[in-house]
Amino acid sequence: MKSYLQYLVILLDDTSVAYCHADNPLKERNLIPIDTLRKAILFGMKENLMIQYVYPDYELPAEYEEVIESIDNVKIGREVQVLTEVPKFIDKDNVVLRLTISDFISKSFDIAALLPQVKRMNICIRDVENFKDEMQEDYKRALNTLCSVLANLYKSGKQPQVNILTDRLSLTEMHNCEAGIGNITIAPNGKFYLCPAFYYDEKMGLSNRMNHKTKDSSRSVGDLNNGLNIPNKQLLQLDHAPLCHICDAYHCNRCIWLNQKLTWDNNTPSHQQCVMAHLERNACRSLQLDLIKVGNLSVEPIKEINYLDPFDVKEDF
Amino acid sequence: MKDLIQPWKEGSAKNITFIVTKDCQLACKYCYLVGKNEKERMPWSVAKAAIDYVLDREKDPNFAYESVIWDFIGGEPFLEIDLIDKICDYIKTELFRRNHHWFSSFRFSFSTNGINYHSEKVQKFIEKNHSHLSVGITIDGTRRKHDLNRVYKNSEKGSYDDVVKNIPLWQSQFPSDGTKVTISSADIPYICESVLHLYDLGIHQVNINCVFEDVWKEGDDKLFDEQLMTLADKIIDGGKYVDNACSFFSENLGKPMDCKLQNGNWCGSGKMLSIDAAGNFYPCTRFAQYSLRDKEAWIIGNIHDGIDNNKLRPFLTLDRCTQSTPECIDCEVAEGCAWCQGENYDAAKTHTVFQRATAICKMHKARVRANNYYWNKLYRKLELEGKREEFEKNHPNVKPDIC
Amino acid sequence: MNKKKVGQVTVEEKNEIQTLFERRNGLNELAKILTAENAELYEKLIKDMGETGTKFQNWWDRMSQKYQWESIEGGNWEINFDTCDIYLVNN
Repeated sequence: MKSYLQYLVILLDDTSVAYCHADNPLKERNLIPIDTLRKAILFGMKENLMIQYVYPDYELPAEYEEVIESIDNVKIGREVQVLTEVPKFIDKDNVVLRLTISDFISKSFDIAALLPQVKRMNICIRDVENFKDEMQEDYKRALNTLCSVLANLYKSGKQPQVNILTDRLSLTEMHNCEAGIGNITIAPNGKFYLCPAFYYDEKMGLSNRMNHKTKDSSRSVGDLNNGLNIPNKQLLQLDHAPLCHICDAYHCNRCIWLNQKLTWDNNTPSHQQCVMAHLERNACRSLQLDLIKVGNLSVEPIKEINYLDPFDVKEDF
Repeated sequence: MKDLIQPWKEGSAKNITFIVTKDCQLACKYCYLVGKNEKERMPWSVAKAAIDYVLDREKDPNFAYESVIWDFIGGEPFLEIDLIDKICDYIKTELFRRNHHWFSSFRFSFSTNGINYHSEKVQKFIEKNHSHLSVGITIDGTRRKHDLNRVYKNSEKGSYDDVVKNIPLWQSQFPSDGTKVTISSADIPYICESVLHLYDLGIHQVNINCVFEDVWKEGDDKLFDEQLMTLADKIIDGGKYVDNACSFFSENLGKPMDCKLQNGNWCGSGKMLSIDAAGNFYPCTRFAQYSLRDKEAWIIGNIHDGIDNNKLRPFLTLDRCTQSTPECIDCEVAEGCAWCQGENYDAAKTHTVFQRATAICKMHKARVRANNYYWNKLYRKLELEGKREEFEKNHPNVKPDIC
Repeated sequence: MNKKKVGQVTVEEKNEIQTLFERRNGLNELAKILTAENAELYEKLIKDMGETGTKFQNWWDRMSQKYQWESIEGGNWEINFDTCDIYLVNN
């Protein structure tokens, strides 16, 4: 089934908190003009979109908060806490942990200890490109550490969610980031971007290749005056992604920004993204088996497979 | 029509291309190489490092092919005959020294403008390596057709006379090798006379293609259709179908295609490896900067750091339907409609190889009409002569020429 | 020159002789550039030429025995690598 637009992400400032794979390299404040904010909200209302505001780390003027509250919303960087270090305690139900791969591996016990404190934890690896095949065992071990704690919590009646481990438990089809098709980002300049990362790249003058400067770094896909204009939009859809189309790591972000950075084509995932998603899928399978066994879960079982990268078996499909 | 000779070990050979120079004596008007220059000549150290890189990886999936074709292109490759000679000697020696399985299955392949084909150095090289060579000389047809595009870079003088004088020598050395003819908008009126002229020169294999770039004008398809119809009449009425082949006419052409059963990519980009003078690797020569108008080069690695397999993944997952427009997918005459992955990339709205350029659409449709006419007329003639059964038995299907 | 089709081999059999044929050509062309100065490789080449020549002849002996192809005095057999057909050629 084709996805359709459901969410509007509004970056309130250039320094709005990064909440996904891409770091925000922008250091200078640049608050969205209030008229632009109003137009963005109006766009969201007319297109029937759920608004997600992304906050900077400073207090906004009162008039902004008033406009912000003119529509139902989610506040990333406020009610959803975003952290780049593993804390001892968490005082929010909903947290995003943005970690390097080495931090995730080395601090898996500390992360596991936080699970009883949250309702949902999104773990986002900030440097997927640094994941090496030699790290597979370590990553697996770190995931299993979290799974053990999750299993015990589930058995005791608590059900915290961890995006990379529990989302896949009950999914029977792809449920990915869907940047550009399920959600779209509006930046302080009033232009649309597939996601915040594309705005950061444009501002930094980067091409769609990792750390590569370019003359034309334009990444916008329309603006509030003229509407959305996404070239090659079909390539964002699952049926136009030959590898993802045959994959059952349904929880995978299928991050098109990472795709562009690492494979140079936004419908083709990197080896790293595929392997990590499959290690997560397999860890989820173990958790699922454990929970089914004790009767805590009744879902379609995840199949056992013998590959970590669908690219290696693409001829078999 | 005689069968076009299939490329050597098609499908089971790795194609490794050395861009030995970006220089050429000619400045052909339809040439897609927008960045030709005299400076970028491959140094021996780069060539040697590239060969060592490849031969060190006999079991690597990127190189685990039964056979290998070492391809030399330019610019004009024979401008660098000394380097080529050294490269080929090194490859032969190293394959043997390393007991590499390619020693029993390799070719050296050249596509040349033919201008210095007769030179002592080139001839000495051919004599030395003859059983492993495949050489194609490009001659575009009659003098006026050839000289319309294939002109010297400094004088705009046509190169026909300097090429045609080498054709008999080439034919005597490589009788089964054919020529590649390129058709752009201005060439259409000369297609028929050119193909017939090449047959008269003794070239029995004529691989002829329309350029993929968006150069076609209003009415070109009608003119093209007419030229091909005239050519069809001349070939059939003159009995030239017995000894000659022309890639414009193929029985596997112009039928609808199935997205499940016929979903393969057209070309081998990504399965090939091209190396330039700087030691950069490309999925095909068409992705080097000198071939691209609007996009950045698609470099997949280099002789020092090796291949970044992530950069190859889009190429190795490409299929026909993902990159095609709905109109192409539903096209009733889709079969045989070609594309060039490099041109697709260059013409795409975004940075992708998954957007098929369709500038060639109306020319393909015209070709299909003329092709249908050709086979209907030929088969009727053969039936009336009682020779159809014999023809069909001895005539394998013609496969389109793929770069 | 008279040429007559006298039989056919399997694709596997054809592949075997084609590989030997290619190897023999490769060795012959390598012989043009290798000199006795490169003693180690030169000796390897001479040895391989001998072995490949023997394997080549063995293939024809084995196949002609197996298929019992027609032969004539002064004639020889040829193979078409595209069709696997065997021809008797009389020069």
